Amino acid sequence: MSTLQAASPPVQAIRRLGASETGLAIVALVGFLLLPVFVSGYPIYILPQYMLYGVMAMSLALLWGVGGILSIGQAGFFAFGGYIIGLCFKWIAIVNPAYAALLIAPAMGAALAAVLGYFLFRAGVRAAYFVLVTLAISIIVEQVAVSQSQWTGGWNGMYIPRMSVTLGSIVEISLFDDAPMYYVVLTIVAVTYGLLRWLLAGKFGKVLIGIRENEDRVISLGFDTSLYKTIAFMVSGALAALAGALYGTHAGFVSPSLGGVLFSTEVVVWVAIGGRSSLLGALLAAIVVAWLSNYLSALVPKYWQLVIGIVFVAVIIYFKGGVAGAFARYGARSNAGNGANG
Amino acid sequence: MAELLRTEALTKTFRGLVANREIGFTLQAGDLRCIIGPNGAGKTTFISMISGHQKPTAGRITFEGRDITGLPVHRIARMGIVRKFQTPTVFNELTVYENIELAVLASDRPARRRRDRVYEVLALVRLSDVVAQRVATLSHGQRQWLEVGMLLAKDAKLLLLDEPTAGMTAEETHSTGELVRRLVDDLNLSAIIIEHDINFIRDLKAPVTVFHLGSILVEGSFEEVAGNEQVRAVYLGDEV
Repeated sequence: MSTLQAASPPVQAIRRLGASETGLAIVALVGFLLLPVFVSGYPIYILPQYMLYGVMAMSLALLWGVGGILSIGQAGFFAFGGYIIGLCFKWIAIVNPAYAALLIAPAMGAALAAVLGYFLFRAGVRAAYFVLVTLAISIIVEQVAVSQSQWTGGWNGMYIPRMSVTLGSIVEISLFDDAPMYYVVLTIVAVTYGLLRWLLAGKFGKVLIGIRENEDRVISLGFDTSLYKTIAFMVSGALAALAGALYGTHAGFVSPSLGGVLFSTEVVVWVAIGGRSSLLGALLAAIVVAWLSNYLSALVPKYWQLVIGIVFVAVIIYFKGGVAGAFARYGARSNAGNGANG
Repeated sequence: MAELLRTEALTKTFRGLVANREIGFTLQAGDLRCIIGPNGAGKTTFISMISGHQKPTAGRITFEGRDITGLPVHRIARMGIVRKFQTPTVFNELTVYENIELAVLASDRPARRRRDRVYEVLALVRLSDVVAQRVATLSHGQRQWLEVGMLLAKDAKLLLLDEPTAGMTAEETHSTGELVRRLVDDLNLSAIIIEHDINFIRDLKAPVTVFHLGSILVEGSFEEVAGNEQVRAVYLGDEV
């Protein structure tokens, strides 16, 4: 028993790092909740879109940061969700089409990922080859969106109405105004983040980390790693599609380039900057970098992509774990310092 | 005693090169067995076929009476056959605790028992003092023990240990021998050990199977094998 007690404090120190992320997440949530009290107009209009980018970033952080599986097809799933909500508004009249879309989009995203994941992971496709296939997802979604113009509007894109919150036929709250939509999206983002944290804290997350660190060892312990990877890919695809559906109804417009390779690589940049092993890092980095891109593109239209590019390269060279990684390292050092003093 | 493992006419060829030729091998439950033989004798290939990492070209493997020939690695592992690789195959970037925890997660133990089980195993492999350390900071010997710990934490029935003392100091080698002996005697596990270290094998006091050119040359106690003329000729000749 003495070993157990002697060993416990350092384990708790590691846990504190996870706890500090939770604390930071709560601070961020409170900040976002209060923001519309102080700010109105464009920021409150645009922030939900960036938060939805953040959900897409988390979908990649789960796959890449936790599971070590890089995908440059996340925007493909995102646009897929965007088109699904557009089609739901066209085709579904009996129930609230947005509700239908918010169920159908993640279900279809998961199904697409399940089919791809099942065959690819079972066949032992790993690393670079898998990245190439995810690249193809982006290209295919973009091409289908262009070619099936009778449904998607082709190059002209597709206009999508703003969703309403309904309860039966009695209550109907329009989300046309910025603040109500802001709070609906914020709620969904917060719940998604919480569910992901819960999922990753359990067996699933631990096995996924094991797969990232040493897949052969995980297999040799008796885990069906292709199943775990397929499920991770499904969750990731479902999340990106859900975010895309909400984005569609928020922005009111989707076009083929939304699913393109360019946007998919932007997601990778967000996650790398934020720190791929931290969901919160990815979420906040997407919001900050998307905001910064928007700001810079107005300020220095010719050079803003260069600025983002330089930040990306600098992060890769100096902070491999991104901003969150740098935070964790700093936290570990100060904890070690405390241990030495105490 | 019940039969745990049996191979019948187990054969593996790599592009015409015969790595294992019609190996007939049996192991009883609770037994410890050493496999020795010169480099290229087919020892690792043999273990790889049992663990599922290599598919046999011909022949059959049964474990607890069930045919496991050619099953995928994770299914064989789930039945209780787990393998320690020649080089420590652990999660270097995770802590010692997390390494063992992952193995416990593979064992179907209820969630509330997992934590205690991790500390139990850590005590067995003497890593309790480094529980929160990153594995990359451990010594080579400690990582070897950690991997053995992971096999235990997984609730294995049969351990396949491929050169468990490779790269260890004489003292570490000696305590590894004691550990293996304790696992087999106290926990009623079975183990097949590939080794080169003659002192280690002698101290284990276990039956020895000698591989040569992909076949079993001879089986017997350490003394019988050491005294065998053929074995001396092919393997021990220049050492004994």
